[in-house]
Amino acid sequence: MISSLKRVAFRKFRESEVQLHELNYLFWECTTRCNLNCRHCGSDCSKDYSYPDMPVDDFLAAVDTIKERPENFTVVFTGGEPLLRKDLESCGRALRKRGLRWSLVTNGHLYDEQRHISLLNAGLGALTISLDGLEASHNWLRNNDKSFTKVIHAIELAASSGRLSFDVVTCVNQKNISELAQIRDLLVSANVKSWRLFTIIPIGRAAGDQELQLTDDQFAELMDFIALQRKGKQIDVKFSCEGYVGKYEPLVRDSYFFCRAGINIGSVLIDGSISACPNIDRSFTQGNIYRDNLYEVWLNKFLPFRNREWTKKGKCASCKDYKDCWGNGFHNWHGDMNDVLVCHKEKIEHAVKNQH
Amino acid sequence: MKSRFIRKILGGLSFTSALFVFQACYGTPQDFGNDLFVEGQVKAKISGLPIKGIKVSVADNLQYVTTDEDGKFSFYTEMIQHLALKFQDTDSTLNGLYAGKDTVLADVTENVYLDIILEEK
Repeated sequence: MISSLKRVAFRKFRESEVQLHELNYLFWECTTRCNLNCRHCGSDCSKDYSYPDMPVDDFLAAVDTIKERPENFTVVFTGGEPLLRKDLESCGRALRKRGLRWSLVTNGHLYDEQRHISLLNAGLGALTISLDGLEASHNWLRNNDKSFTKVIHAIELAASSGRLSFDVVTCVNQKNISELAQIRDLLVSANVKSWRLFTIIPIGRAAGDQELQLTDDQFAELMDFIALQRKGKQIDVKFSCEGYVGKYEPLVRDSYFFCRAGINIGSVLIDGSISACPNIDRSFTQGNIYRDNLYEVWLNKFLPFRNREWTKKGKCASCKDYKDCWGNGFHNWHGDMNDVLVCHKEKIEHAVKNQH
Repeated sequence: MKSRFIRKILGGLSFTSALFVFQACYGTPQDFGNDLFVEGQVKAKISGLPIKGIKVSVADNLQYVTTDEDGKFSFYTEMIQHLALKFQDTDSTLNGLYAGKDTVLADVTENVYLDIILEEK
């Protein structure tokens, strides 16, 4: 009964968020250059070296169009690998002068003590670093035999800072799913407080690589693992907001699934395109900062993000959970858009059937 | 204003206060802004001239900056009570020789400006 009421209240809350359409979170794809050559690349970013890094002033001019900024408005530097840029700190300071917060997503390869210090000095407030397994499995995914050593050092540095809101993310795949408990212990020993787990979307290089995809049974195993960890106090473990997970919804996150792409989350991409999360199909681009006013685009466009009825097709057309899921994470709509790329709820249902 | 109020009520009813502190799939956690901006200038006591190359560091922390040509420095750091800063001449005689100084900020606010005077050795 209480659970049902919470659900109803949540649905209303989500509708009110759509109405408000407040820009809280702005990604900046500041470079598409990268220092690694990961097996799963292309699943969550467009790796195209043909674009030069966007000049800081161009990005700041776009940010300056945003007239109403909520108190928690944050700019998130992403890539490519953002740390390849030497001017992140000057951009960060310019944002802080404007009263804005900024944060960074990195593979950790270049995150040494000097860079840690200079980023903190420039007002970095939050940080996410990827660790994709124990040494062999991490280096396998990252395609680099030094990556693990470097990322562990980066994680230790970040965890030593009382200033940073910091978490580690892990892309769970065939190679590392049996290592999750060991990875947890490693992170706890490094004083990491927060750990987010993902799966890999089958697009880009990851599309044809079966080792990167979890079977339905393994996906349910991942959900069980997260649900169990959340009963403990050692480290805050959660599943990412990548998709709706049916019966596991109350067990693997702090709140119900809600894909906020284009509702509260926007992005400025490498070529100036205005969109939501950078891993969303580029055909959903809503404008370009070199032609359009970013804030006007935010206020007046983003309709496919704010009204997801168009996703009611394919698997979603007759799904009884549609009102809670809304077509899953927006990044699961790629290519011809005839069907959702991954249905996490379906994977769980298949796993349950397999058990019987 | 009204819609923001309704949002808070609905968020509360669904026991999902965490919804106000969300993060994007591939993004970072929210920054709660727990820091302060420290800036200032370091000058020599007798000559009154700005000193370049003084290391300004935060006690019990890896963070430091070095003063510029005008003896100026600035950085963000964690907001803690009784923030302790150290001013050290670490470049030997390169920009003159000065005695170090430790400063504790008793009343920490979001922005702090410090005029620091170092004695010539």
